[in-house]
Amino acid sequence: MLLHYLDLSWRSFKRTPLVSMLMVLAIAIGIGVTMTSLSVYHMMSSDPIPHKSSQLYNVQLQTMDEGHTWWTGDDIPMQLTYQDAVNLHNAPIPNKKVAMMRTGFSVYLDSDKVKPFTGEARMTTPDFFNMFDVSFIYGGVWSEQQEQSAAPVVVISKELNDKLFAGENSIGKLVYLDDDSYQIVGVIADWPLNLKYYDLNNGAFDKVADLFLPFSLIKAKELTSWGNSNGWKHENIYSYADKMQSEIVWIQFWAQLDNPEQKANYNNYLNSYIQEQKKRGRFTREKPEYSLLDVNQWMQYNNVVSEDNKILVGLSFMFLAVCLANILGLLLAKFLRRAPEVGVRRALGASKRQVFLQHLVEVAMLGFIGGLLGIVLAQIGLLGVRQSYEYYKNIASMDLVMLLSAPVIAITTCIVAGLYPAWLVCKTNPAIYLKSQ
Amino acid sequence: MLEIKPIFHALCRSKVGAILLLIQIAITTAIVSNAAFIIQDRIAFLNQETGYPEQDLFKFNVMTFGKDIDASQQFELDVAMLRALPGVVNAAQSSSIPLSGSGSASSFSLKPAPQESLSVRTAYFHIDEHGLDTYGVKLIAGRNFSEDEVLISNSPTDRTTNVTVVTEALANELFPKGDGLGKTIYFGDLPLTVIGITAPMKGPWLKDSHPNNVALIPYIQGKTYAQFVVRTKPDQRDAVMKEVENLMLKNYSKRVINNIKGLDELKDEYVAADKLMMRMLIVLITILVLVTALGIFGLTLFNISKRTKQIGTRRALGARKSAIINYFLVENAMICGVGLILGCIAALLLGQLLMQHFSIASLPPSYIAGTAIIVFVMSLLAVFGPAQRAANISPSIATRTI
Repeated sequence: MLLHYLDLSWRSFKRTPLVSMLMVLAIAIGIGVTMTSLSVYHMMSSDPIPHKSSQLYNVQLQTMDEGHTWWTGDDIPMQLTYQDAVNLHNAPIPNKKVAMMRTGFSVYLDSDKVKPFTGEARMTTPDFFNMFDVSFIYGGVWSEQQEQSAAPVVVISKELNDKLFAGENSIGKLVYLDDDSYQIVGVIADWPLNLKYYDLNNGAFDKVADLFLPFSLIKAKELTSWGNSNGWKHENIYSYADKMQSEIVWIQFWAQLDNPEQKANYNNYLNSYIQEQKKRGRFTREKPEYSLLDVNQWMQYNNVVSEDNKILVGLSFMFLAVCLANILGLLLAKFLRRAPEVGVRRALGASKRQVFLQHLVEVAMLGFIGGLLGIVLAQIGLLGVRQSYEYYKNIASMDLVMLLSAPVIAITTCIVAGLYPAWLVCKTNPAIYLKSQ
Repeated sequence: MLEIKPIFHALCRSKVGAILLLIQIAITTAIVSNAAFIIQDRIAFLNQETGYPEQDLFKFNVMTFGKDIDASQQFELDVAMLRALPGVVNAAQSSSIPLSGSGSASSFSLKPAPQESLSVRTAYFHIDEHGLDTYGVKLIAGRNFSEDEVLISNSPTDRTTNVTVVTEALANELFPKGDGLGKTIYFGDLPLTVIGITAPMKGPWLKDSHPNNVALIPYIQGKTYAQFVVRTKPDQRDAVMKEVENLMLKNYSKRVINNIKGLDELKDEYVAADKLMMRMLIVLITILVLVTALGIFGLTLFNISKRTKQIGTRRALGARKSAIINYFLVENAMICGVGLILGCIAALLLGQLLMQHFSIASLPPSYIAGTAIIVFVMSLLAVFGPAQRAANISPSIATRTI
């Protein structure tokens, strides 16, 4: 029966090509506009690590004295001081935790084959790779012992390995970073991350780092952060050692808490940590304040989806509503003109339900064609977005979910538009039309 | 004669079509007026005056990895080489680059920290006496640094600088009476005497809460990471930019020169998201107005084909062509009028909603009025074609089939 209805729909489409094309065009434009903004929104807001996002927590501590404010919603600084990060990392719980910072080096080899260039680096404790699901092509992460001793070792990205060693296994080879040599212990596989969720402070949609090195090298090499360093207190900082002991926040910290029990334990631990630090004259607020936000909460807290994008999504759906009203008008015209034919069908025994269904199938078909055309338009729109804003290169694209939702939204819109006209036409009284013929 | 009453009765007989049109016009008005307001806001942001001859300025980064040089001596060699290049007006090392989106800012106060006093967020550039000329910014009062006021050092602990040149905006915010010249302001507990006041120049962040507050501090720190700014003669920038990497490496090779970018390019990158939003909204409202116009056009055509006989009869009974055209224009104006009233209300509500949830100012009524006029004119244009066609229906049609 469905096939028969589809056949009828196609005939009807061909009979009034202009009106049909107008309807398809209306729905396609509506879908094109909506999908363009919705795709960007979807890629920005989708969970970057779905199976683990509720176990990974960003840790924030309220280190500021009473009365100081931050630009975050809850006034808590987004990063930690160096001393807090080290203390929390040395804590017995949880099992997996990571302290890290963004920096960069001049990268070159012993030979003259590669011209020195700048590489972005992440100084991190070794749990990083396991916690954020990073896999290796060659080698692996440095050992706990190497972390403790600030060993000159490095894990590099696949891209960098391709550039320096033509993609060969480079484990054990040396690479120069600034004026020291480092031994390569691992090469990570491609890590196609749309959103650099583990470090939203420094360009959420930037690509991941080229180099990963032990966190302990920060102190050993006196490295400076390439990200935000923020102070709230007046401190005299004349040396690197002063900075390590200061209240400047510049280190990011994540903890993996697998279940509510672990989370409760960690809450207790953080409370007691703050109490302990109080005795040393830090954390002067009466009430200890800290915050544990999981990946999705952290993304919201950092306003990853821009205001502009939310506005655009809202406006595009209103746009779709205008298209819907447009289609409804055209459908009404088209279906009512067909009343005599429907009258004959009804007289020959078609039930109201059958007539109704037949017309719904017809609008669904229009929706489907419109949806497909809409995807094409959305691709053009997204191409425009990418051209206009390099930074959205990875974000302005449609994934499978979006590709499938386009026709679904299109068909739903068309069926909503088609309900009233189809209902009107199935109410047709056959007698009137039979009389006049 | 406008014949409103019969037209209204006729409309009542085909309510659905009219209501659909009305909804379209209302939503269109709501979207277009709010979008136009946002677009206007972005255009003003994108076209603002920065105070720099962006086309003639470019910057680059230097990352030094060799340890066999003295960083501040190397700085002297590098700037001397850059300033001597043909086509270069002036060059300087600058700790922050304007319009680039990255730099340093701190609170500048009337009293030394930790004493409480009026304190204002300020972006600061560590730069030498060539800085102002390199940026192409004029002094409006006082004087520039002299060469021996500039501290050049490899160590970050020296704190002997005691003068600063600030923008007028900063001086006036700290000294509202406008007598900032010669006064002392504090960067932390470091006292700085204001020796010069400059014409407006923007800091590193156009979207900062205080984008116009800039202080120049005569201090060059020899570091492994440095940024240079170069101003060239008009039209010679590209040539200098192409050469600069090799020239710098010729001066000293154990370093990386990168991020060679024009100031206009940096600004473009910084404002790219706003430009994108503006473009998307322009595309959105253009298509929207076209879709709505097509809707009106289509519905009028449909109505005419439905009423061919009535029109023919009216013509046969003596109605002029102009009466027929008037009929459709008035009919459209009635629908459009009601749609616009609803649309204005919807626009206000939508504006309020946007203001509540986002950082958008309240929608000025002029935008709604402007949009309403445009939509009204557009709807009349969309109706006029079909109405003329209706007027040309021959009276004989009416007599033929009845």
